[in-house]
Amino acid sequence: MTRAQGHRPGGIHVSQEDVRRLCEFVYRRTGMWFADNKRYYVDRRLAERIAATGADSFLAYFSLLRSDANHEIQHLVNAFTVNETYFYREEHQLRCMTSDLLPSIVHGKKAGEPIRIWSIPCATGEEPYSIAIWLMENWSEVDRYNIEIVGSDIDTRALEAATIGIYGERALNRLPPSVIGRYFQPAGVDAYRIDPGLTNSIQFTRANLVDVEDMRRYRDFDIAFCRNVLIYFDDTSRRSAAESLYDCLCPGGYICLGHSETMSRISPLFRVCRFSDAIVYQRPEHADDGR
Amino acid sequence: MPFIKSKLTQEAAPQASGASQIAALSSPDVDTRWRAARALGGNQEAVAALATALAGERVPRVRQAIITALVRTGDDASVAALLPYLRSQDAGQRSAAIEALQELPEGILPFMTSLLSDSDSDVRLLAAELVRNFPAVHATRLLCGLLEQEQHANVCAAAVDVLAEIGTPEAFPALHACAERFAGTPFLSFAVSIAIARISDAKG
Repeated sequence: MTRAQGHRPGGIHVSQEDVRRLCEFVYRRTGMWFADNKRYYVDRRLAERIAATGADSFLAYFSLLRSDANHEIQHLVNAFTVNETYFYREEHQLRCMTSDLLPSIVHGKKAGEPIRIWSIPCATGEEPYSIAIWLMENWSEVDRYNIEIVGSDIDTRALEAATIGIYGERALNRLPPSVIGRYFQPAGVDAYRIDPGLTNSIQFTRANLVDVEDMRRYRDFDIAFCRNVLIYFDDTSRRSAAESLYDCLCPGGYICLGHSETMSRISPLFRVCRFSDAIVYQRPEHADDGR
Repeated sequence: MPFIKSKLTQEAAPQASGASQIAALSSPDVDTRWRAARALGGNQEAVAALATALAGERVPRVRQAIITALVRTGDDASVAALLPYLRSQDAGQRSAAIEALQELPEGILPFMTSLLSDSDSDVRLLAAELVRNFPAVHATRLLCGLLEQEQHANVCAAAVDVLAEIGTPEAFPALHACAERFAGTPFLSFAVSIAIARISDAKG
């Protein structure tokens, strides 16, 4: 089938060249690259933003975007991100965290030094809250340490939802009823509010993985969960993100990627660690600066 | 609860100026060079300094950061800084250069004619591989030009392999001519027949 040369997202004519310009703009800001086969996805988001801003042509919208009128860049980024996730997703990695990663991490900790865990991207909070709940439920040493959990995402709308902490039943599907009973309260039809003790314990921040400058405030994490985001990046952005993640981890810190992602194809900076529950990647304790 | 809220609210310390970062590329401290290389990505004024640093840098992770920085900048000067490594005797450096240059198809396009007619057959072979990420029309035109002149069977094989993946039917005459010219090299005739079959299938 021949692809049409122009589409009409939001009832406005948008040419392929317009879409290419928009995609390049999104790429430069976020590292996410949308190829031609994602045209439908792009059109829908573009239509949403054209309608929301009241622009009467693509050029008018693009001009709003470039001048960042009313924070349109962030609105567009929010529209392009995917936030569909659920609690206890890829549970085997959470198991790996308590059975292998944390014992190795605490072994090297000085008294009083916190354990720092980062979820990036954290979407609407399911992942950082899952980490917290998993630790409470499954790690017998949880009360012996101060634990910091940070959730970061480029989508500010998702971060707001994470801070509020209300979830639909579908997001809780993988949680045992007893766990739901301990950490959630009903909040209307098919909705649950997470324990305010948890919402108050986790720090949510906006972060752009491909922005080197943005990443400089994130340092000294023991574990980073960075799942299912690098697949949206092109090779350059992936490598740049890997270099940033290297800087964000402590020496010896671990990074957990999504099940379809592998760091070995992105960057040689990390050591592959095969544990019984998961394969994770480690920033070497001592930099391998061999010549 | 055992959780403490992170104090991650303060901004990072201000980034050093571009000039300081360029100077830091020659620091004796590995981490300083690494940080400088990372900070200079996308900075056109730093390309010459990054190129010089890459030539002298021996620490793999700093080399990688310099290459990433050059790819993020991606202008003609960045491409020119990466091209010499196609001739490196070090296979790791050649691979890194190929990977980096493949990410810059528009940037390397002006250099392709010269690379594909380079006097060194290894460079021509790697140049054929660089074409793999090009749009099909450009790739076919460039590789047909190569096939028409090329005397080295391995270089032709590399070009035929890329054409099999992304070539268009316009490549058929050059492919047939190549098979005839290398009639005594059975593997190449076989590769050409596979390429023609795949291009025909893709078209059909």
